[in-house]
Amino acid sequence: MKTLIDGIKNLCIGMVTVGKHLFRRNVTVQYPTERWEMPERSRGIVVLLSDQETGELNCTVCMLCMRACPASAITIEYEQGEKGKRTLKDFIVDNTICCFCGLCEETCNFAAIKMATMYEFATEDKESLIWHMDKLQEMGRDVPYEKPVRKKPAAAKPAPKPEVKADGEKPAEPQPAEAASTGNTAADPAIANEPEQKPDNRKPDQPAEDQT
Amino acid sequence: MSESRGLHTKEFTLNVGPHHPSTHGVCRFVLKMEGEVITHVTPVIGYLHRALEKICENRTYEQIIPVTDRFEYCTAMSCNMAFSLATEKLAGIEVPERAEYLRVIMLELNRISSHLIWLGTTSLDLGALTPFLYAFREREYILDLFEMTCGQRLTFNYIRPAGVSRDIPPEFIPKCREFIDMFNDKIDDYERVLTENPIFIARNKNIGILPPDVAIAYAVSGPALRASGVKFDLRRDDPYSIYDRFDFDIPTRENGDCYDRYLIRIQEMRESTKIVRQAIEQIPEGEIRGKFNKMNFKPPAGEVYCRVENSRGELGIYLQAADKEKKPLRVKMRGGSFNQLQVMPVICVGHKIADLVAIMASMDIIMPDVDR
Amino acid sequence: MELTGIFKYLYELLAATGLPEVWVDIIALIAAGVIVFGFLALVALFLVWLERKFAGHAQQRPGPMRTGWHGWRQTIADAIKLLQKEDIRPTLVDRFVYFWAPVVVFVAAFMAYVVIPFGEGLIVSDLNVGILYVVAITSFTVIGMLMAGWGSNNKYSLLGGMRSAAQVVSYEIPMVIAICSVILFVGSLSMVDIVQSQAKIYQWYVFRLPFGPIAFIIYLIAGTAETNRTPFDLPEAEQELVAGFNTEYSGMKFAMFFLAEFVNMFTVSAIGATLFLGGWQGPLLPSWMWFLGKTMFLVLVLMLFRWTFPRLRVDQLMEFAWKTLIPFAFVNLILAAVMKYSGWFNW
Repeated sequence: MKTLIDGIKNLCIGMVTVGKHLFRRNVTVQYPTERWEMPERSRGIVVLLSDQETGELNCTVCMLCMRACPASAITIEYEQGEKGKRTLKDFIVDNTICCFCGLCEETCNFAAIKMATMYEFATEDKESLIWHMDKLQEMGRDVPYEKPVRKKPAAAKPAPKPEVKADGEKPAEPQPAEAASTGNTAADPAIANEPEQKPDNRKPDQPAEDQT
Repeated sequence: MSESRGLHTKEFTLNVGPHHPSTHGVCRFVLKMEGEVITHVTPVIGYLHRALEKICENRTYEQIIPVTDRFEYCTAMSCNMAFSLATEKLAGIEVPERAEYLRVIMLELNRISSHLIWLGTTSLDLGALTPFLYAFREREYILDLFEMTCGQRLTFNYIRPAGVSRDIPPEFIPKCREFIDMFNDKIDDYERVLTENPIFIARNKNIGILPPDVAIAYAVSGPALRASGVKFDLRRDDPYSIYDRFDFDIPTRENGDCYDRYLIRIQEMRESTKIVRQAIEQIPEGEIRGKFNKMNFKPPAGEVYCRVENSRGELGIYLQAADKEKKPLRVKMRGGSFNQLQVMPVICVGHKIADLVAIMASMDIIMPDVDR
Repeated sequence: MELTGIFKYLYELLAATGLPEVWVDIIALIAAGVIVFGFLALVALFLVWLERKFAGHAQQRPGPMRTGWHGWRQTIADAIKLLQKEDIRPTLVDRFVYFWAPVVVFVAAFMAYVVIPFGEGLIVSDLNVGILYVVAITSFTVIGMLMAGWGSNNKYSLLGGMRSAAQVVSYEIPMVIAICSVILFVGSLSMVDIVQSQAKIYQWYVFRLPFGPIAFIIYLIAGTAETNRTPFDLPEAEQELVAGFNTEYSGMKFAMFFLAEFVNMFTVSAIGATLFLGGWQGPLLPSWMWFLGKTMFLVLVLMLFRWTFPRLRVDQLMEFAWKTLIPFAFVNLILAAVMKYSGWFNW
């Protein structure tokens, strides 16, 4: 008998709790018309960033992002110019296999690639999810970013490459120039607190310590 | 055997799953039933096998971290953490103080969010629809904190070897404190709807009793083990990171039934808020990532096993490295869900089919953790 | 504004046409039936919408919002969508049973309203066995559910159908006993007599201590079980039985089950309001408003049940009916009888 009364009492407590919620503010939004504001760091689609003045891509074809990508979603095609200078021919991001880990953005020393906060890119066919350079550049046109502050000019020491890698495979041997990025050490916590701050103490020229 | 009964029923086989609403993913149970009573359970697993361990062998150490996110998506932080710990142990890397605190905050928030998923799905499996949305409401809050810090809500890729990937934004600490202050009241809300509810008690009490010796024999860990009365928590018994600096309790219960597992997890959420509160009080300034060569990390040869306590028990990473190789030789992952699924045939026998749902829910099994 | 006057006027208008009296009565009855049917169809649509809004707000979300003001056209749109859908009939079903099951459920759900007094004089037919008729007709639904479960040729459907039969039969007993304790006091089975015996608010049976509230609670619990709603929604427990007896149904047949469910909920609330909350009785407002208001109150209580409680297990459900509710109902019936004949509290 007592358990019965207790039971009814506890059922009522539950009902009152739910009943109270009837008069609380809604916590959901009506999605297509209302949206959450995405946080600054939100990792959405990959875009290529351009210089705000010249409109040129920031990419220096150092191939770091391509090698950092765990899913091999990035393919870079380039032309080997005179004096080893490379020019970007095409930059392909396969959004069907991109895992949105953000490693490409972290590896980039030139603020050339970024995961923007945009997240709606559903299409009807698979082909249109493979984005090329022009599309990526266009998507990244209005994306705000901070220019990297580098102590040394980025004189990318080009290693001669036998052929253009077009299949997204990671190169077999590491390149001496870019492989040496040290840890993501933000010396000053105040700087580290700022979103999208690129670590400024990387030394792209320093050779890797354990290069064989 | 059943000559005392007047009615004889033919034993029949029922397939629950792999796409059944309450199997939490794609698990299949082949049940032998006598009427509505289960006489034999065979879990069929492997529907979600993604060869994660093999994938890890083809990635560099930094690239494995996003893979571990997919290992057990409810608590991706602890997967990151286990792998980072293993890497650090292998190469003897120091982790900065601030990074350790950030790790603990994230791990505990992740534990809460994982327990909230469990709470929601459990109440859903038992037919109570409203607590599900209450739990997810608070979980969103935590995910916002994560997204603010690392940019993603589920696959964080945050805890890295030698530290964490990014420092927290300045608005993180106030929002986190706000969440912790509010969260205990919210737990009270869930408890008001569920804990003393006679229907909930009837569905959970004395259902799926897991005796301590069986639990140990099957290597069950985490809340399911502690509900059986075994006080074993890696945060206390094999402290990793800086867990020995915090003051928190390891709740245990005696019966080991579904109801105890429920109470344990509710209590653990409260304990986790305690840890987060202490961590955000004590967090020092400083670096967030030690020295680690992202692109060219080559640890010395060796093998390590590192384990962390995540919301489903012991999450271990075994890592074997060849000398001066960028990729590990072998990665083995051990998740708590696998053992908790293996013990299901033992504890489900004699219960009704509706109890299978309740037991499965209370064990908090997620299939990617089982299949990997 | 009493609606009775309008209907009386219409009836006199019809009588003035000079038709034989038999025809006038037949036409009037058909018209009344059509009105009640139309009203109930609207009520069912409204209740579906209300349930969704209620669930939404209980869970701190707005519920349907896109169609019209706060989504008021949502159920209409859903009904149209279901009407347009292809009527899928699985190959191995028992055609006859499969086809007629939703019809039986649907018709049974609506037939109870013949004797429910919507207001003073607003009743299709005041049968002298009114409440008995209601009890008989509402349990008719079970046959439809069993037919659906059997006809679908599906394990889950069959289990759902069997469960619902067992459940409804079990809960019929405490429900009828609870109703009996009221009838004992009224001394009549007619719905109108039952309402008229509760003219003052202290005469409402829910306030007649000590037996009234207990009978009311038993009625409400049994009523929830009758309508297969949480915590007694075993027949359609989706975590165990996918969708119970209507797993194989789609399109308009499914809509019929769905609407019948909500009409049943309204029935249970309406009878509850009639038996325990004084029916149409109440000051100031017109009688039909009082009736609808009380019914809606009970509907909201049932909704609150559904969105708060977990579900019982099937054996616990039976245990609760036979070991708790029925003994209590019997004791309560004896209590009511003692009260009635000793003259205590016999106001």
